[in-house]
Amino acid sequence: MEINLKDLLKKYKSHPYEDHEIRTPHTGVVHINVEDGQEVSGPTGRWKHRPGTLLYVLEREGNPKRITSRYTGFVAKLRKDLDGSFVQAGEPVMLIRHRLNKEEIIDRILREVLYIFPAPQRARYFFTPEVSAAMEKDKKKALNLKEGDEILIMSLMKRDTLLSYEGPAGVLYKVYFNHGDLKEQGAPLLGICSPERLPFVEKMIQRIRTEWDD
Amino acid sequence: MAKCRQVSKYTLALKKLPLLFERFVVKRDKIIIANRGEIAIRIMRACRQLGLDYVVVYTEEDRHSGHVRAATMEKGKGAAFKIANYKDPNEIFAVADHCGATAVHPGYGFFSEDFRFARRAAARNRPITFIGPRWEVIRDLGSKINTKRVAKALNIPVIPGSDEPIYSELEAESLAEELFQKQREEGVKGPSILVKASAGGGGMGIEEVTHLDVFRQVYRRIQNYAKRQFGDEGVLIEQCMKDYHHLEVQLLCSRHKEVVHFGTRNCTIQSTGRQKRVEVAPGFDPDHVAYPFDAEKVLKQIVAYSIRLAKEVEYDNVGTWEWIVTRDGRPYLLEVNTRIQVENEISACISRISRQKGPVNLIKEQIRTALGEKLRYSQKHVSFEGTSIELRIVAEDVKRGFAPWCGTITRFEFPQEPWLRVYSHVPQDEPYEIPTEYDPNLALAIVWGKDTEEAKARAKEFLLNVNIAGEDSLGRPIVTNLQYLYRKVDDILRFV
Repeated sequence: MEINLKDLLKKYKSHPYEDHEIRTPHTGVVHINVEDGQEVSGPTGRWKHRPGTLLYVLEREGNPKRITSRYTGFVAKLRKDLDGSFVQAGEPVMLIRHRLNKEEIIDRILREVLYIFPAPQRARYFFTPEVSAAMEKDKKKALNLKEGDEILIMSLMKRDTLLSYEGPAGVLYKVYFNHGDLKEQGAPLLGICSPERLPFVEKMIQRIRTEWDD
Repeated sequence: MAKCRQVSKYTLALKKLPLLFERFVVKRDKIIIANRGEIAIRIMRACRQLGLDYVVVYTEEDRHSGHVRAATMEKGKGAAFKIANYKDPNEIFAVADHCGATAVHPGYGFFSEDFRFARRAAARNRPITFIGPRWEVIRDLGSKINTKRVAKALNIPVIPGSDEPIYSELEAESLAEELFQKQREEGVKGPSILVKASAGGGGMGIEEVTHLDVFRQVYRRIQNYAKRQFGDEGVLIEQCMKDYHHLEVQLLCSRHKEVVHFGTRNCTIQSTGRQKRVEVAPGFDPDHVAYPFDAEKVLKQIVAYSIRLAKEVEYDNVGTWEWIVTRDGRPYLLEVNTRIQVENEISACISRISRQKGPVNLIKEQIRTALGEKLRYSQKHVSFEGTSIELRIVAEDVKRGFAPWCGTITRFEFPQEPWLRVYSHVPQDEPYEIPTEYDPNLALAIVWGKDTEEAKARAKEFLLNVNIAGEDSLGRPIVTNLQYLYRKVDDILRFV
């Protein structure tokens, strides 16, 4: 599959933003800590160990949970009316308008370049114990995949199903889920790159790094 | 004489006082229903019959579920709270406090057999009543191993196998070898063993091993599954009984040491994953099927054993004692489910309490007893009438090992009959996408007949008149187990 990198970069440059809706992860009383339009930052530090700006505190059963920003950007559509009230799980509290950085642009473009193995169902996904062990053993070693390899466990309706890889043989270049994540049907799970395409992908990444200005 | 009459009046009033007080206690309670689907609907119905207020909880995936709709239609928007997860106790208690609930009904699954949850409900700063047995009872009987130990001490027969969870592969293999050897010595044809997740329940995390060579592979698989699903990799190993019936004894006990049974059920017809699909009450029917043993005697035996164990542990709510009965009529205690069951309704359907109108509502009885009421009747007041069959309608592909089907239901219609009750959370007037987070159970149908023949005929009539349509994301039509259920109705109560 050929892509026009120039056009893709142009598209992202014309609108380099992504809106992230911030919803309450569970029930509790909300105490808001930011203002509409305020600039907020995501986690920082070498290991992203310093939390981002405190957005709000969600207090449940006497336990305050500090909800910090996972993104750098600006607060929009703040629900100030929720301040001090008991909310249900999944209640939208605000939006964070985030400007995509270089690495994120690379990630978005890679999705169009790699062969994507999508989630066949809305389910939770795990690597098989054998694959997990192999990845854990040597983190730097690339995992080669070919059709029929049993690679994932799909946990759906309390039943575990082994998933075999279907697609072109290649190197597991990108993993789009965390162990046990719930993924929607069709969401990318794995990004696979054929060995002959690897140099092209590496070159493309290099070009984005040079051309994109954070 | 006048003075005497006056004293009598006061005495009478004093005698009535505890009863009035009990009723007052019940009426002022508010129940939080910590479950979903059809059981939430049945709990709502029981609350309504008792005149109790209630609230329900739901997750994002369940926002279109019938239990949310029914609650909001009856009590308004404030009666349904969206939570992050049914398995998060903090969510349940936070909502309970916010809406002033005084008791929590766990239904089945989720927290129903979680003694830590029941203990927390009782021990927190603002205690709420756990609608179920005392947490100590749940802890003691919730462990299959402990139940086995207590039963053994009371001379109640149990299945040969491990007495405690096994964490060592070598130990497991040694026991497996011993169980194979024992069966060979007993002349069992095709000996096999079961490997079970110790912390599991409801038929999940169980595999059969027929050859010792593959034991380690299965052991590791179950261990991994147990760790992932229950956070405990302990595994149980026991002899796999073949050619048996799966029976249950329904008990109801109160906080006042009263014990009453509501007969037996037969739950032998199960999917390959050991999920029950057709259940019938009573457990055997010698008028309908010829058994190679004295069926009445076996039923009496398992009821007596169950009551013996219940009294020993001072059981104090509804509970199910699960048994297997082999073709030669030998019963073995399997486990105790310290909760309401999916299938309790068929026991209720054939039970009558003298001076009470119509069938029993076991969930109502469960709530009453958990809130401290006395039963107000004893075993001699309980009688049984007819046969009841439960059919679990599930979106699953029977031909593909009962694989769950995911998609959207566009039509769901079933007949209305006086001998039929259908519980379903699937809306009948709008499309419904089956959440993939939970089992694809669609409905429970409870059929009653004056005898087994009539109940079977009615069950088949019902199944022929269910109208269900839907499609998956690729446009393929819905797959259900309706035809399987129809075929299986003929097999009920028989050793086939």
